[in-house]
Amino acid sequence: MNQIVTVGTSHHVAPLDFRERLSFSENQLTDAFQLLAEHPDVREAAILSTCNRVEVYAVTHSEDGCDVLSDFLSNYHQIKLQQLGKFTYSHQNLDAVHHLFNVTASLDSMVVGEPQILGQVKEAYAQSLAAGATGNVLNRLFTKAISVGKRVRTETNIAAGAVSISYAAVELAKKIFQSLEDKTVAIIGAGEMSELTAQHLVKNNVSKVIVANRTYQRAVDIAKKFNGIPLAYDADLSFLVEADIVISSTDAPHYLIDRPALAEIMRQRKHRYMFLIDIAVPRDIDPEVDKVENAFLYNIDDLETVVASNLKDRGQEAEIAIQIVKEEVAKFHTRLQILEVNPIIKALHQQFQGVASKELETCLDKAQLNPKQQKMVEAMTQSIIKKLLHQPTAHLRQIALNPDLIGTVNDANDDYVQYVHALHEIFGLEQTAGTNDVEE
Amino acid sequence: MNSLFFHTLLLVYLGASILHILFLTTGNQTVTKFAYWLTVGGFVLHSAFILLRWQHAGHLMAHWYDSTSFLAWAIILIYLCIAHLTHLHTIGVFVVPAAFIATLVAYTLQTQENTAIPTYLQNYWLIAHSSVIFLAYAAFIAAFGFGLMYLIEEKKIREKQHTLIFNLLPALGRSDEIGHKCILVGVILMTMGILIGALWTQYVKEIKWTWVDSKVIFTIATWLIYVLQLSIRQILGWRGRKTAYSAIVGFAAVLFTYVGVNLFLPSIHAF
Repeated sequence: MNQIVTVGTSHHVAPLDFRERLSFSENQLTDAFQLLAEHPDVREAAILSTCNRVEVYAVTHSEDGCDVLSDFLSNYHQIKLQQLGKFTYSHQNLDAVHHLFNVTASLDSMVVGEPQILGQVKEAYAQSLAAGATGNVLNRLFTKAISVGKRVRTETNIAAGAVSISYAAVELAKKIFQSLEDKTVAIIGAGEMSELTAQHLVKNNVSKVIVANRTYQRAVDIAKKFNGIPLAYDADLSFLVEADIVISSTDAPHYLIDRPALAEIMRQRKHRYMFLIDIAVPRDIDPEVDKVENAFLYNIDDLETVVASNLKDRGQEAEIAIQIVKEEVAKFHTRLQILEVNPIIKALHQQFQGVASKELETCLDKAQLNPKQQKMVEAMTQSIIKKLLHQPTAHLRQIALNPDLIGTVNDANDDYVQYVHALHEIFGLEQTAGTNDVEE
Repeated sequence: MNSLFFHTLLLVYLGASILHILFLTTGNQTVTKFAYWLTVGGFVLHSAFILLRWQHAGHLMAHWYDSTSFLAWAIILIYLCIAHLTHLHTIGVFVVPAAFIATLVAYTLQTQENTAIPTYLQNYWLIAHSSVIFLAYAAFIAAFGFGLMYLIEEKKIREKQHTLIFNLLPALGRSDEIGHKCILVGVILMTMGILIGALWTQYVKEIKWTWVDSKVIFTIATWLIYVLQLSIRQILGWRGRKTAYSAIVGFAAVLFTYVGVNLFLPSIHAF
């Protein structure tokens, strides 16, 4: 029987340096697929290689498909099997399916709900497909896995909510302005967090960055990173009139911006929205500022609370995603089993058709029927075949879904194999080379 | 035929309302798709019914009953336009239930259906005048919805509570901008409607233009509220919360002009 197997490593089980050794570069993929294709036991293969995980998926003839893949990885990357075993996991059949579905649903990611993995799986599948490494089973598996990933993202809020402070700030800015495209950012003071936030904002196309610092040279240094405008800042806040987003992180011991000052600035900028982010401790901006109309103030605690609550929400959404994955694995299981039994059904039909058409030919030769009568005889033959095969076909599909129906005392799956074998014997069906070459 | 239609339409709009609200409480994208297409289905059904009725009765918008049904249709039309142009389906949470309520009111007014209509009302003047005014009302209802969304979202931002609703509602700037555009469209339509009404009195001898009709007074007052708001926004840069509040005040004025005037004050307008 064919097996779906996977052997791989991820951030869950291996440190970065091991994952690096196991990874496949774009160039390596070609010979890796070549080697897998030449392997007598491997029917289909696909390779997923990202910075957080390396996984090889395959459909194999042999019972020990996982060992085949481990040997392959060990040979290819020159890593001892023993070490490989320590830092990899392997799954077969439904567990392998379940694992891949978990991966595309981003349930196996470092940050649950992160968006990249789905694209990475799509890319990996496209490469494996282009290399001709995949076949009927893996094509179905990956297509389904990708659709499961999409389903989880549309039906749950697993990807909602920023999970880092700088992203939370960007997300908030988008919730105020919608688009950041023509917006101006002012950074007051310096600091890693404020620069990181500014970087994310620049990535979201803010049009202008003003960097204000007590020392002009410092402002120039920071401004270089964002193509910004440096400014020596003293007590004058007038540059804030054109700022839509203000990030403040000075080490001033008192408030730089208080409510009356900001109210005046807001009046000058015709009450266009302003988003102020106070990352400084002690704070730079008087909390009263949040009461000014169309001005919105968040300090570091507020942002941290947002992140914590988003993480908690993702955890809850993950519970729903786990259920979806389970459901989809069960559905896929059914499809796989029907897929297994299809070649037998097809062989049976071919067998019957072959006999019928031979007999029909002889009969029609002798009988000298007119065209209408000929048609009637042909239709009757078809109808007989259909009726004869209806019951066995239905029954085969049924036991494929539920081998227990065979009703013996042994392991149901073993029985199933023997049952199919017996069918071949009784009807003298030709053994098809692979059970999966036939379309549904 | 009428009641079968109404029952179906009420069910469709009720279902669409529930689905829209369900989306806001679950965030499930599939739900919003269903909600949208169910609303589209309701719109097609409703359009067909209005056309059939027009053909059958020979007049349109001569009753409260017809006009309220038309208002519901107009609300859905505006919603579909907004959803199509901006992909903001969340506004459906506020306006689809409004259309449901309008349909429900029309349903209860069905008895009026067969009252005789004076011939001077059976013409295109009436249809043009009232349909344009009702489209304006529908735009104002959408603006009201955006005002509410703005206020809820602003509250969430100020409270620093980034709940599901915070994620699903549009950005402040967007609610404000689209709400503003709805008011703009509403004001243009309403101006047209008033002008058509005034011209009508010049051409038809049975109706005399009068400034002292209560409907006219309140319509103009409503129109002024919106025009004033637009002007202040232009000059002083009013936006956000103030636009939202004026959209709500404006909506109250619309509601009174449409319903209140007829209940409490005499008028030559039947609705």
